[in-house]
Amino acid sequence: MSHKKITYTVPRMGYTYAAFESFFQILGYDVIMPEPTNNETIKEGVSNSPEYMCFPFKILLGQFERVLEKNPDRYFKMVSLESYGPCRFGYYSPLYYKILKDKGFTNFEVVNVEGIYPPLYKGIPRFFKKLIKLTGWHAPWIVVKAFVIAGWKVYATEQLEKKLYHLIPREKVSGSTERIFDKAIERIRHAPNKVKAIKKILNEEIEKMDKNPHVERDDLPKVGLVGEAYILMDYSNNLDIEKKLAYMGVDVDRSLRVTNWTLDRLIKAKSHKAHMLEVNKGYLDFFIGGDGQESIMNTILYKKAGYDGVIQAQPFGCLPETAAKEILTKVSEDYDIPVLSLAFDEQTGEAGFVTRLEAFVDMIKSRRQIKTHEEKESHVTVKN
Amino acid sequence: MKIGIPRALYFYVYYPMWYGFFSSLGHELRLSVPTNKEIINLGVSHSVDDICISVKVFHGHVKYLLDKKDVDLVFVPRIASEEKYKYTCPKLAALPDLMKSAFVRDANRILTATFYTRQGEKPIITAFEEIGRQLGDSDEKIKSAVKVGIEYQKLATKSLRSGHTFLDVVKNIRDLETLIKKPVSKQRYTVALAGFPYDVYDTFTNGDIISKLEDFNVGIVATDMLNPRVYNHYSKYMIKDLFWYQANAAAKGGMYYIDSPDVDGVISISSFNCGISSIYQKLLDLYSKEVGKPVMHIIVDEQTGDAGLATRIEAFIDLIRVKRGDGLVTQENNLHGTENGVHVRSL
Repeated sequence: MSHKKITYTVPRMGYTYAAFESFFQILGYDVIMPEPTNNETIKEGVSNSPEYMCFPFKILLGQFERVLEKNPDRYFKMVSLESYGPCRFGYYSPLYYKILKDKGFTNFEVVNVEGIYPPLYKGIPRFFKKLIKLTGWHAPWIVVKAFVIAGWKVYATEQLEKKLYHLIPREKVSGSTERIFDKAIERIRHAPNKVKAIKKILNEEIEKMDKNPHVERDDLPKVGLVGEAYILMDYSNNLDIEKKLAYMGVDVDRSLRVTNWTLDRLIKAKSHKAHMLEVNKGYLDFFIGGDGQESIMNTILYKKAGYDGVIQAQPFGCLPETAAKEILTKVSEDYDIPVLSLAFDEQTGEAGFVTRLEAFVDMIKSRRQIKTHEEKESHVTVKN
Repeated sequence: MKIGIPRALYFYVYYPMWYGFFSSLGHELRLSVPTNKEIINLGVSHSVDDICISVKVFHGHVKYLLDKKDVDLVFVPRIASEEKYKYTCPKLAALPDLMKSAFVRDANRILTATFYTRQGEKPIITAFEEIGRQLGDSDEKIKSAVKVGIEYQKLATKSLRSGHTFLDVVKNIRDLETLIKKPVSKQRYTVALAGFPYDVYDTFTNGDIISKLEDFNVGIVATDMLNPRVYNHYSKYMIKDLFWYQANAAAKGGMYYIDSPDVDGVISISSFNCGISSIYQKLLDLYSKEVGKPVMHIIVDEQTGDAGLATRIEAFIDLIRVKRGDGLVTQENNLHGTENGVHVRSL
């Protein structure tokens, strides 16, 4: 038995980091969250990882390395969510281990959480072994309680986020909703570990945001976001693309959230796959890992839901997303929906990025004008 | 029917099988020309910008074949998996879909089937049956043709194991049995090439590394010449197996050659923006650091200049020679001679 006190560190997932934090706090561990992606973490990660590795890997390596550097007297368990599939996502943890060991760090171990994969007689015991390694020995009801609380916190954060991006283009005083939202996130983070308390805070904060003076309208241009999960879900990786679009006066919707991502992958996996195959027929009806198929499916679904444009956010050189990008050009032509592919890497400059977004939004707005104009004209001709 | 086979990607692994299958069914095969500048330009202009160069080259080959009037169908197989629980790169698994969306007008001229070449002959037969049905051949004919194809593939594997490169296999496809018997001459130095077969053997894109090395009288071994049994124990070093059969072969084969006393150095070749090779290159780097054998990474793209590559290979060979105590290449015939195997420059 080692008597070292274990500290956990978990990848950030946008605003939902509070949920992961409280999961391990309920189990009785210390948690140190990595800082949000910034120039220093990116620099650290890029200089130590392979050149063409995915950008999320570089981000996470940099974040973890900063955590280890700042706390040399603690012993860390680094949690890495993984899958087993054709995408590189499944090989993160061995590389973390090897690279950080090579750099001379000794005060850590990597715990990877992965699904059950075949052969089953090996996969199921391996899964439970990993789960125990992740949580340590605890009474099952404590683990379940931690799961429930974390789940509720994720849900609450996402509800608040949805409300925020709905209200920003409609608010009267620019920036006022965001200030309420920041306080709300802090309250959720420090909420007592009870479902009732979280519910109460959520209702109060939503009410507060609703009371903020705004004009309800539904003629705003609509943009959907598709792409790779980690880039999409963490605001610090995608340069706050959602907020930027919202401030440009666009109704923005993100296709992947922590809740629906986990539901589709774990609980509703079968029906989700069947639905995806049906929608993607003729474009990409073969499993290629990552979120490539989801990107194509969601683009088609956005079109059917009446959206005006889709932005695909992907890390540079992402294997499934580049394949999806090529197929999306055909989808965009067939379904008549503009698709902008944005590749994020360590050199993404903010100014150029904003210019591209603005150009895209302008294009969508003018397309809408042309459409309404045409509709009016056709209306007139019918009258005649 | 005349079937076009693009000379790229899995051509460099399964060509013997396809050759055996299609020719015993009585179809004519049309190979695209070896990669050249024109094909690369075709590929670059028909694909998205941040896909890897190997797939771009594949686009070029397919376009070249589609433009030819005497080719009826172009064969673009979807190689999904080559070993149990091992898959191919997502881009390769989506290859027919990519081709269909890149060449919309000719989408019905693309002949495709999903191959699981992992567990013996059964999955291969089902895939070939699908192809045969599209071509309109009878089931009996297809069955015997598949057997011929698999026989060819086995012979090709045998000749690879006996030390011949895949380029030799393609050249001598009609008479593989004599190729197997032909001995491979042993050189003083041996360099191992680690990488995907389509990067190692595509002589234009990689700047003809193989013949450049042969010019220096260096023997060549490649990772696809190894039987997976000899390197499977390296999965312990790698903690978790990679999910791609070819990447596993490159990584573990590279490690095997790093440990092997017969090999002087390892050159790993990969294409620009290939995500998978970035993983095994790091692993090879870390492993060579432990063992102390030179490893060089060469990343090729559509703009590879010849001079830079030649300099790097010369420098690598110099390094190998100095390690063996033979002095530099440039001083081989030099008047000042060497002292204890190490060249002493006299001013």
